[in-house]
Amino acid sequence: MQVRDYLIRRLVLLPFIMLGVSVVVFTLTRFTGSPVGIYATPNMTPDEVAALEARYLLDQPIPVQYAAWLGGLLRGDLGWSGVSVAPVTAVIGDKMTATLELALAAAIIAILGGIALGTIAGVRRNKGPDHMARLFSILGASTPTFWFGLLLLVPFYLWLDWFPLGRSTTEIWNSIGHPTGLYTLDAILAGSPAALLDALRHLVLPATVLAFGAMAIIVRMMRSSMVEALSEEYVDAARSKGLPEGVVIKRHARRNALVPTITVIGLSFGFLLQGSVAVELIFRWPGLGQWVTSAILSGDQATIMSYVLVTAVIFMTVNLAVDIAYAYLDRRVVLGG
Amino acid sequence: MSNFTAAAAIDESKQSVMSVKWTRRKEVAREVFSNPLTVLGMVIIGAFFLMALLAPLLTEPNQPDAYQSPRDWANIDSPPGIDGHVLGTDSQGGDVLYGIIWGSRLSLQLSLTVVGFTLVFGAIIGSVAAMRGGRLDNFLMRLVDVFLSIPELIFALAIAAVLGPSFRNIILALAAVFWVKYARIIRGEIIRIKQAEYVAAARVTGDSTWNIYRKDVLPNAVTPLVVQATLDMGNVVLIGATLSFIGLAQAGLTEWGAMVSAGQSGLLAGEWWVSTFAGLAIVLWALAFNLVGDGLRDVLDPKTEGR
Repeated sequence: MQVRDYLIRRLVLLPFIMLGVSVVVFTLTRFTGSPVGIYATPNMTPDEVAALEARYLLDQPIPVQYAAWLGGLLRGDLGWSGVSVAPVTAVIGDKMTATLELALAAAIIAILGGIALGTIAGVRRNKGPDHMARLFSILGASTPTFWFGLLLLVPFYLWLDWFPLGRSTTEIWNSIGHPTGLYTLDAILAGSPAALLDALRHLVLPATVLAFGAMAIIVRMMRSSMVEALSEEYVDAARSKGLPEGVVIKRHARRNALVPTITVIGLSFGFLLQGSVAVELIFRWPGLGQWVTSAILSGDQATIMSYVLVTAVIFMTVNLAVDIAYAYLDRRVVLGG
Repeated sequence: MSNFTAAAAIDESKQSVMSVKWTRRKEVAREVFSNPLTVLGMVIIGAFFLMALLAPLLTEPNQPDAYQSPRDWANIDSPPGIDGHVLGTDSQGGDVLYGIIWGSRLSLQLSLTVVGFTLVFGAIIGSVAAMRGGRLDNFLMRLVDVFLSIPELIFALAIAAVLGPSFRNIILALAAVFWVKYARIIRGEIIRIKQAEYVAAARVTGDSTWNIYRKDVLPNAVTPLVVQATLDMGNVVLIGATLSFIGLAQAGLTEWGAMVSAGQSGLLAGEWWVSTFAGLAIVLWALAFNLVGDGLRDVLDPKTEGR
């Protein structure tokens, strides 16, 4: 079972790669010398500073410091977030679900839109829709997310006032329970149309902006695999059986074209995660991205590093899931390396 | 006598190899230039390069720091076209056109430094891994896996944040992150090429590994790197601009992302020009390199589309 072996190899390697990420992140925190400056105040005596160093093990060799830090990490201690004035673990959950909700909404838009647009472009190759799709995907790859966000913010928020900033209207948010932390899902679970509408009104604009870059990648891949699939013999065979063109495209060509497209969906999720930083900043979305930008501006290392760790874990998980999906969809694929 | 003819034969075959090379190059060039979009991209890139080169002639450099817009305090937030400010001014009286012109120098500096360094460094790491194989290869590729498991922008953001806000640190951060892709691409190419018959033939003749690498392997492995490097000339500026937008460049810098950020508050007050023009500069820059990169890929490496 080649697929199973490959997945087992991936699963075995995963903790080692995560360990590698933790080394990288730890190295970053020690890049600019001892972080004692974060805790020390100007009127401390040298003795007090030394006591601080001893308390945070900063007088120990680097490997000992790393071991202590990793130990804390494994016990769920990510340090103190200066910007949130709370332990990182106490606040990171809410930020993470906020970002995940935004990224998942954007992923849905990007995947459905990308597959639809890519299919049409592939079928109507070198015609109007194909040129439009090409223009769309090259603009998606060239437009900075933050600028596109500002471009949409002005008409839809400032002039028309269709969509509000932030994630929710406080009273409506407080009127329902939040078992999952995903506002849209919680609203459906609570059976509250008002809350669902509120969630969607806040979500539409940032999710659309975020989806643009990822959708550009998916459109492009879907188009080229659609062109390839349509030139295959099984498509000719299906046509010669007298099947209607719609069935040939949907059941035969598109289904096969989807397989290679899945590989770029994992990649584009990375774009969604990194794009969320600027999008959250512009639309005041209270997620990881907004959290980390405020941490950067105030030099809050624990928050920055927790953010990098959490993002890496999310990204690796998504990529593993995509690989599993790909492996099961296309048994012909030779995995490895 | 026989030595002489052998030498002549080698000379002749060298010549024919050279002429094949040149004909192929001419063909590639003709194909590249036959795509109007590629040519459009090249024209835009040429215009930006000229703009960067001629910046001191186009606008008088501000003293003491040319990368800070000169302030015209009499014209704060002026719309385009007033008092010689062709593209308007920002909330500090900084001229937008000046910022875009001097910003092109920063974009050029950023993209050339980062792509130049990461291309060479990544190619060396990837080549060593592929040529040596074994445990070294394994170690280097796991290192690559670690780097690839953090999205580029987020990794660069963390490094730049730790180093402190400055444009130089943005360059350092991007250089630390971008080499990975090149290492991985060239490693894959070399492993594929090593299985080719002409490499086996070179080995049989007893050529050294270094010579085989230099003459037979590397020239055949660089194509996808060239395509990737062209695309990255645009990507790097996009990500660099995002980092400055977030606040990782020094204040008031004539960097396009920082200018979009500085124009944000004005944008909500109806003063659209600062963010719009600075953002357009970024889009044009990235678009131009994407057009040329796509054009090159279509000609040189049609199979990797969408990778």
